[in-house]
Amino acid sequence: MPPALRGALAAEWIKLWSVRSTWLALSFALLSGVGLGLIDTVSVVRSWDTLPPADRAAFDAAGSAFSGLPLAQLAFGVLGVLVVAGEYATGSIIPTLTAVPRRGLVYLAKAAVLAGTTLVFGETLAFGTFWLGQAVLAGHDLDADLGDPGILRAVSSAGLYLSVIAMIGFGLGALARQPAVGVAALFALVFLAYGVGRALEGWSYLPSRLTLSNAGDVVGQVHATAAKPRLPSLRLAYLTLAMYVTLALGGGGWRTARDA
Amino acid sequence: MIDVHRLTKRYGSRTAVDDLSFTVRPGRVTGFLGPNGAGKSTTIRMLLALTTPSSGSAAVNGRPYRRLHTPLREVGAVLDAAGAHGGRTAFRHLCWLAASNGLPRRRATEVLERTGLTSVAGRRVSGFSLGMRQRLGIAAALLGDPPTLIFDEPVNGLDPEGVRWIRSLMRALAAEGRTVLVSSHLISEMALTADHLLVIGAGRLLADDGIVRLTRGHASLEAAYFALTASTTQHRSDADWAAEGRTP
Repeated sequence: MPPALRGALAAEWIKLWSVRSTWLALSFALLSGVGLGLIDTVSVVRSWDTLPPADRAAFDAAGSAFSGLPLAQLAFGVLGVLVVAGEYATGSIIPTLTAVPRRGLVYLAKAAVLAGTTLVFGETLAFGTFWLGQAVLAGHDLDADLGDPGILRAVSSAGLYLSVIAMIGFGLGALARQPAVGVAALFALVFLAYGVGRALEGWSYLPSRLTLSNAGDVVGQVHATAAKPRLPSLRLAYLTLAMYVTLALGGGGWRTARDA
Repeated sequence: MIDVHRLTKRYGSRTAVDDLSFTVRPGRVTGFLGPNGAGKSTTIRMLLALTTPSSGSAAVNGRPYRRLHTPLREVGAVLDAAGAHGGRTAFRHLCWLAASNGLPRRRATEVLERTGLTSVAGRRVSGFSLGMRQRLGIAAALLGDPPTLIFDEPVNGLDPEGVRWIRSLMRALAAEGRTVLVSSHLISEMALTADHLLVIGAGRLLADDGIVRLTRGHASLEAAYFALTASTTQHRSDADWAAEGRTP
């Protein structure tokens, strides 16, 4: 590894772990992700005998454990925004750029450290939540196994999705350079876009299929719910995620190359 | 050693730095003097590759800043109190800076010692006074033991003790044979600190001379400064007329 890249990575690693926001965001994500998933799974199990057959058929052993994911994804996204926009807001971008004057290198190192960290935490959260949920479901013979068709893909994709949201937040943060603007843009993209898609469904399902939240739902589930026309196919969902990450990182990279 | 060659920065129709050329030599404190808005900070930001010049070039120790592999070993810069993330401790702030340029972590401890911050090393920067922040900025600049140091308005908002501390530090660094460039709009402070002066006004170089020679024939450095800046206001508007292809 070239020494300049090694130095930039080491610096970003220390920066990431030496502010409280990182610890707060990741703890919140772990607690809410695991906690809400567990609560939801327990409530399904408790009411299983009274559930209508249609609901039973639609039950997704992986999906129910992931009901805490919307909160966790927020924490990941906000972390992504803060990692870069926080530098501009506090003025620490000046020492960052004087220590590593190649802006592309700074951007690359920041993105790499964040991607690695959020991927590890995202997968830990996804698999942890899944296994806890299965422990609850096992008592009722509803549990799935990682070897079952689609399960491993769904669980690992739920973890990947969290990292994807963090990277989208990162790109938006680099583009906005202000934490509040970056977080607002992230909320709009993750939550408001869903409503916009719904509103347009009278004309076309395409906007809905292209929303982040629907793509996230589809990749984190086992049954690709073909019955719901607003949901994209599995392939389209992965493509959509890749497209959002590319656009956000590209936009952020473009802005980073410009003078602070 | 700092070399600035025909450096120009335009923001739209406004020219912040106008065809500036100078050399800053080692072994003495060079003051960079001019009124607010004269282009001092823009010039320093271009030296450090924080701002991209419209034309011209700036080199530190013979190379453009962006091509320095370990810039903290070449140049230390103290810019206008900004700099450290409030949520990070002083020690961690210096740690990541050291890591970025492959410097050993003990350097962080050493510069904290030199700037008198050892006792607050573990405290978050958000709780620091302006004087402590300024010291932390200086600690960061000294981290790589660089032969060239740049201070942008280092005494703004400091108490007399802090002002004197920074002044003696800059003089000591120059005496060690380093290149020291310090920008200020305070003539009296420059008279006490600098051996050599670069005076700029409206983005142009007005004088590049030793303090003694600049002051000769005037009652004080201040009188010399005002004589210089008065003449350039005229000079500047002549240039504007010329740029528009008209005569005044």
